[in-house]
Amino acid sequence: MQGFVLGLSSGAVCAAYCAPVLVPCLLGEGRGVLANAWALLLFLMGRLLGYLGFALLAWGINQALLKEAGERSLLIGTAYVALSVLLVFYGFFRPRHACQAAGGGGVVGRLREFWPSLLFFVSGVATGLNFCPPFLLAVTAASQEGSLAGSLLFFFTFFLGTSVFLIPAPFLGLLAGRPVLQTVGKMAAGLIGAYYLYIGITLLAGGFLS
Amino acid sequence: MIPEHPPKATPAALTQPSPVKSLLISLPMMVLTLVMTTGGRLPSDPLRLLILAATYLFFNVLFFLMVHTGKTDRYRAIAFISYALLFIVSFITHMIEVRGSMSLSQEKILLCEVPFCHLVIPMTLIPAALTKTIIFPGELVKGYASIATMFVIWIGASLALGRGWCSWGCFFGGLDDAFSRIRKSPLIKAIDRRWTYLRWAVLLAVVLTAAAFLTPTYCTWLCPFKSVTEFSEVTDFRGVVQTIIFVSLFVALVIAMPVLTKRRIQCSLFCPFGAMQSLTNRINAFDVRFDTAKCLNCKRCLKSCPTLSVTEESIKAGHPLLSCMKCGKCTDVCPTGAAAFHIRGTPVGEGRSLKRILFLYAAFLFLATFSGGLIQDGLLRIVRLITTGNMI
Repeated sequence: MQGFVLGLSSGAVCAAYCAPVLVPCLLGEGRGVLANAWALLLFLMGRLLGYLGFALLAWGINQALLKEAGERSLLIGTAYVALSVLLVFYGFFRPRHACQAAGGGGVVGRLREFWPSLLFFVSGVATGLNFCPPFLLAVTAASQEGSLAGSLLFFFTFFLGTSVFLIPAPFLGLLAGRPVLQTVGKMAAGLIGAYYLYIGITLLAGGFLS
Repeated sequence: MIPEHPPKATPAALTQPSPVKSLLISLPMMVLTLVMTTGGRLPSDPLRLLILAATYLFFNVLFFLMVHTGKTDRYRAIAFISYALLFIVSFITHMIEVRGSMSLSQEKILLCEVPFCHLVIPMTLIPAALTKTIIFPGELVKGYASIATMFVIWIGASLALGRGWCSWGCFFGGLDDAFSRIRKSPLIKAIDRRWTYLRWAVLLAVVLTAAAFLTPTYCTWLCPFKSVTEFSEVTDFRGVVQTIIFVSLFVALVIAMPVLTKRRIQCSLFCPFGAMQSLTNRINAFDVRFDTAKCLNCKRCLKSCPTLSVTEESIKAGHPLLSCMKCGKCTDVCPTGAAAFHIRGTPVGEGRSLKRILFLYAAFLFLATFSGGLIQDGLLRIVRLITTGNMI
């Protein structure tokens, strides 16, 4: 319950952190409300995976990630770089479906097949690993849980609380059918990706140097 | 794709008022600008008085010519470009006077002494709603270019002029306006229409990242005008990257592209404030309309629009796009007077001159009032430089 309340109380900030990734991608896809709801679900599943993965990691190595600034920078930097690659790719490149006749299979072909679902899921994982202020609060609170199960449960309930603030996102689908907004969404994703790339690189550099 | 280069416009077959009538129409502006530029009292210093008189004459001669010749953009541009250039002179010398440098130290940022500019406004709105704080290290009420002052001016200008702000009020817009006028014909004649969406993407990106990181990301990373106003001290790698970005964007978007395309590229394609300001075009009384009954479909307006706000579809629809900055260029080049300033709710094509004069009174008075002090200060510093060798 404590995790849920913490998520509710800080969810607006959490939503502000997720919005630069989620909003341009939803606009860029230009799909309806239901399709956006599915995309949001994938994003949230990715984010939950990121949260739980971090809870496992933090518990498993005795919260060393929190104590070592360098390692923390490396983790967040990697998450930012991963996000930026996704966003820049989404913004400036157009994935084409593999031609079956030409035998366009393989890993790339499979990735293309799952695009853009993959985009929403992976960007959810990467945003789940970002240390936004509410997430840091949750980490501090979860560290007081004695067991792994308690820590996981705390993060899960925290995730539920923060997710409430993302419920309006699928309603961007009301703007569907306007090609202009799709172009704007993709351009914005590319620009935000470039910004995240710089943040990621500086964090990684800081992590390696410390 | 938009074909480029406007053909030479033949003078509009419109009735030109007599000099006496033009003078009578200009008379209220003379009184209003006198009140607004002096603030009700004349300076005792003869040099300041001389500069005040020169500024007053400058504005009123331009307004008279606007009224008398029927040309809007031609004389607006002279005032607007002078304003931008003298703003830079005034701002930089002021910064050197109070800080000893054009660059912005961490100390000044921590003391919240950074002048607030209107370009920050789109980034402050969501964080202000979420956290009840303004994410800018400026002074709220007091001091040079305070946050409250800029907000009040912006709201007033938005109600009165909409995106007309970008052609009559913005102290940066005159720069790319000036560079877009250097060549007689453009070297790049076609601009893909999709580029006009970039400003919305920049707006979306900076608004979302500003809300996430509670920092004005456009000012920190993307503002080309940092090159000619103030920028963070270059003391680390971050500062080097920022400075390279600022200077590159200034050279590319404010100088090179406007010269090559004869369009206001920074204002039309990149400025997030301009994108947001487009929305205010919906809520103010003045707009530009094309009288389809008079239109010869010569496309001079389309070819000459510096902001890519006129398309073939918009001409057919009878009005420019939402991004129109009301500069008056299309009304100047239109040979039949089909393109004209208009007041919402009134019939198109009737009372063209009266509507134009009413718009000019709102727009020009705003320009004269907002820029008057800065123009005088800029002139004063130039005179000081000539007479004493020091602008400070």
